[in-house]
Amino acid sequence: MSDVTGVCWLTVRQLSRALVNGEISIHDLVNVFLARATELNPASKAFIDVYADSARAHALKLAEQPGSGMLYGIPYGLKDLIDIKDRRTSAGSAVFADNIASEDAHVVSQLTAEGAVCLGKLNLHEFAYGATGENALYGTAVNAYDSSRLAGGSSSGSAAAVAWGLSPFALGTDTGGSVRSPAALSGLVGLKPTYGRISMRGVTPYSWSLDHLGILSRDVRDCAVILQTLAEPDLADPGSTHRPTDQYLSEIDSLEDLTGRSIGVPRQFFYEHVDPEILGATERVISFLEKKGATVREVETPDLNFSRTVSLTIQMPEALSFHMPWLEQRAGDYGKDFRTGLALGQQILAEHYVRAKRLMTHYRTQIDDVLETVDILITPSTPIVAPKIGAVEVETEGLTEPVGNAMMCFTNFFNTTGHPAISIPSGMHSLGLPMGVQLVGKAFGEASLLAFAHLINSQRQFKLPLPEIN
Amino acid sequence: MPKDKPALELLRAVGDAFGAYPFSDEDLSELVEPKLGMITSFQDLMDELDQLRTVDLGALPPALEIKPKASRSDE
Repeated sequence: MSDVTGVCWLTVRQLSRALVNGEISIHDLVNVFLARATELNPASKAFIDVYADSARAHALKLAEQPGSGMLYGIPYGLKDLIDIKDRRTSAGSAVFADNIASEDAHVVSQLTAEGAVCLGKLNLHEFAYGATGENALYGTAVNAYDSSRLAGGSSSGSAAAVAWGLSPFALGTDTGGSVRSPAALSGLVGLKPTYGRISMRGVTPYSWSLDHLGILSRDVRDCAVILQTLAEPDLADPGSTHRPTDQYLSEIDSLEDLTGRSIGVPRQFFYEHVDPEILGATERVISFLEKKGATVREVETPDLNFSRTVSLTIQMPEALSFHMPWLEQRAGDYGKDFRTGLALGQQILAEHYVRAKRLMTHYRTQIDDVLETVDILITPSTPIVAPKIGAVEVETEGLTEPVGNAMMCFTNFFNTTGHPAISIPSGMHSLGLPMGVQLVGKAFGEASLLAFAHLINSQRQFKLPLPEIN
Repeated sequence: MPKDKPALELLRAVGDAFGAYPFSDEDLSELVEPKLGMITSFQDLMDELDQLRTVDLGALPPALEIKPKASRSDE
């Protein structure tokens, strides 16, 4: 393959085709990404650990026994909450600086079985607490489109690695939007599947009730390829569904004419206090779907003004429960912001926690009912573009709020309901930054959700230019 | 009904009496007067939880396993 630099921007399917056609070897492909990670990690802060030796060794081993499947020989990165046997899982924290995993996470086993090659572990907000991805220990992952801005978080390194062309895809976790929000801010596709669809075994928990494993990729079709591998039920994970997988790839091309399909637009809350350009981009996506034949219908959602409170009331006691053994031994190693969150967890009463969990049921039932009347919901992914690194508050159309709240305000609700949700690019802001739109589907309706997302994502008008990385 | 603003002393006393770990005054102060921009103040959280009490949840249970909603044709 003559254009080695161009390789880093190819999709998983394009890379797979190049490998099958003998245009590049697995070893050379892995080396392209390793070289790029070495060169650009000081600027991007995407990786915490790069596994150059083991990735090269794995590539050579794969070359000896050619396999099939679209992930065979494809490099990827992992948010550093996800275990690889005999490797450190730092969780982005000094607390886990010497935490060596005894087993592969289930998702790692699944990807290894398909022949995917892990390049290393990716940066994050400490223990996935926080939307900004700011990390005092490992640095803050930087936006590929503007190095003065955040990549987004908490899966900050996962977004940065794909957006900077250091990895063709990455896995992250999403407890309030930590895959979808950085995907939107970094010009990528980010999928949070239905709660329980992908195993969380071997992933450091933040909040069991809300944690989802998610995928960051260059396009929706890649996302479907990866989901097909990861969606297999894990009977050893108490939170994993036993429901068989659907055929995500074969359904993705089935949707062209949207006659008889309907799109729900929840204008209350999700369309308020939004950057006008992001709102305009979302409306263009809605118009496109309407032109394709879909009926667009305004829908009502529950009062969401306190959905973050519900989420927080669940998150912090659950996080405290997990962290208590380390808190007792290494409290000083925690970042101040996370330790304060754990302190909040101790003050929340059991009745508060149970009420919040019951509100989850309430929200879930209401969204189920809404999705009986429409095929998907559509909202902006975030009300803002990527904020400046170090920003504490943002002002959007008359509302001033903490930057972390703004980055997650349209995503966190769907962690409480558990419905599958995906962020895809909707266009470029005049500031030269990506904007994203969020689609939400029925529980376990990933096949249909991905088909809608692919229809939008495959249109030239919604394609983004590549970032200019020097 | 919104409660009185919790003082640092109250949060410390709750932790001392019922908590398994004694958080420092520095950590607890952030709950009374947040400065980091990460956490809602404890008072705000309590006020919002009080408002959420007005939602009639009947006998709804806490969130359990997700099941796809049966379509009308299945019922």
